[in-house]
Amino acid sequence: MNQVLEHRSAGAAQQTLLEVKDLGISFGGLKAVQNFNLTLPSAGLYGLIGPNGAGKTTVFNLLTGIYQPQTGSLSLNGKNLLGCKPHEVTAAGIARTFQNIRLFPNLSILDNVRLAGQIRIRPKLVSTFLRTNGYREQEAALKAQAMDLLEIFDLQDRAEDLAQNLSYGHQRRLEIIRALATKPSVLLLDEPAAGLNPQEKLALAQSIRQIRDRFEVAILLIEHDMQLVMDICERIVVLDHGVTICEGTPQTVQNDEKVIAAYLGAIADDA
Amino acid sequence: MSASDVLIEPTSHGVNILKSAAPILVGIALAVGIQFLLPSTVGPYYSRLVIDAGIAMILAVSLNIVNGMTGQFSIGHAGFMTIGAYTAGSITFYSSLLIWGTAAKHGSFLGSGEWMFVIACLCGGITASIAGFVVGLPSLRLRGDYLAIVTLGFGEILRVLLQQTGKVVDNAEIVRNAPLTTFATVPVGGAIGFDGIPKYTTLFWVYAFLAITVIFAYRLKRSSFGRAMLSVREDEIAAQAMGINTSRQKLLAFITAAFFAGVGGGLLAHESGVIISPKDAGFQRSFDYVIMTVLGGRGSITGVMLAAILLSGLPEVLRDFERYRIIIYAALLIFMMLSRPQGLFGIHEIWDFFPRSWKTLPWKKSPREEAQ
Repeated sequence: MNQVLEHRSAGAAQQTLLEVKDLGISFGGLKAVQNFNLTLPSAGLYGLIGPNGAGKTTVFNLLTGIYQPQTGSLSLNGKNLLGCKPHEVTAAGIARTFQNIRLFPNLSILDNVRLAGQIRIRPKLVSTFLRTNGYREQEAALKAQAMDLLEIFDLQDRAEDLAQNLSYGHQRRLEIIRALATKPSVLLLDEPAAGLNPQEKLALAQSIRQIRDRFEVAILLIEHDMQLVMDICERIVVLDHGVTICEGTPQTVQNDEKVIAAYLGAIADDA
Repeated sequence: MSASDVLIEPTSHGVNILKSAAPILVGIALAVGIQFLLPSTVGPYYSRLVIDAGIAMILAVSLNIVNGMTGQFSIGHAGFMTIGAYTAGSITFYSSLLIWGTAAKHGSFLGSGEWMFVIACLCGGITASIAGFVVGLPSLRLRGDYLAIVTLGFGEILRVLLQQTGKVVDNAEIVRNAPLTTFATVPVGGAIGFDGIPKYTTLFWVYAFLAITVIFAYRLKRSSFGRAMLSVREDEIAAQAMGINTSRQKLLAFITAAFFAGVGGGLLAHESGVIISPKDAGFQRSFDYVIMTVLGGRGSITGVMLAAILLSGLPEVLRDFERYRIIIYAALLIFMMLSRPQGLFGIHEIWDFFPRSWKTLPWKKSPREEAQ
């Protein structure tokens, strides 16, 4: 049994899911991201770190089609994603959360999740108006799937509440639930621990691992909390001024001179 | 595994008559009731007011799909209405001339004339929705004030174009023998308006169409389409990231809203005592409907209906104070915006304000039970 499991996870680790090559974009004269490379295996849990303004969120925006890359290539499961609109990227299997929470504040929690799930239905206007049996069945399936997800994350009792009435920590959790509702194969988390207290951060670290295993998604994570990143990420990419300055395991990254320089400031050569 | 690999395909077909069709049938039955009971009890003057309120509700509820649900600020709704009015009006007018030799009303309740009128209204809706598609295109690139200016411009352009149209040809013989070039001038009356359209609009048709409009809007709002539209209103970037094709949703909102506006226009064109004219396409009328949607609450169907009734009735109530009418009207609006800026009902529907015990009807299940 153990052998089988090991074999499976070894096989999964070899399989490349998201392949990013030489991705780049400039805004006017500012080279926001240059030559960004990433090979994310299925079920991988990678981190993306760097000082403020390093271009981390820009990388997310490039991956999800909000910005169109000016150079490089981007593919998911061998399928080219360059030139895709954001909703097409999501349909292909990349979901994300936002650094500043972007829930739909005046929609219920259930609707927030259901909305993300409806990527899997092809509704018709006429059957919506007539509320045909097929329509009812689809809506019921959507609702059941959304409730299942909420139950996993223990928010099922608040399904009818408006998203804006949730506490900050719950809103962050709902953002992740909503992203998972699109049934992604890659999940991009943009600073999921921002604003959480130490206990909540510990719980988050735990649940990120669980999400990866339970939903079989590969996760790429932007985070400023180094303890969290070093603790859970298998590999880390460090960006500074849009350039990848280091890539490797947490140990490698922690001991890299360039990384230390980027965070703490370089020691002048002549000192 | 991508999302499209796990599509939820419906396996069942057909319509559950009791659950799906009953509201529509009830609405039409109510319309029949209004048609036969109201005029005899309140007299023609108030019946006319009820017709006006009904048409205003159709217009306001349809505008609410764009402004309230999708969050696109359109102030050209009267333009769509006028397109529907002129289309429907010219169909009934010229078809009546050709078929019956006169543009007068033909046939009684549910008679052949009325069916021609219904088809004409639907054609008006279709033409308006084509215009809705065209006007919706800029909404894919423009937001807020800029989109408002484009829609405003659409109404004004339409108004000026309609002023250039030719005189109405109201003689059956001339219409029959006229070369097609006569119609190149678009004989719909020019600046003085389109007079002579047969007056088919009755309480029944207004309220039957209103019932369909309201049920459509409500079912749209509660469906995946409606959720997608609301998500565009709430946060467009997040909506895209959740896989919503926001361009498609915005266009759909414009097309459906324009359709019902066009039908409403068709009803207005055939209302007795009304002569549609180019100025109906102008911004004043559009603003009336915008005020109704703002006053009613963003996306609240019942709120917008109530606002439409209030605002179409208010000028009549204030008629005794004729001289101060506009002042009182404006002051009321200002007071309203200061005391309740989210509109009468905000984002809620009227039944959200009922006590909880009224809503938990025995056959209703809680969302958790339903999911199981």
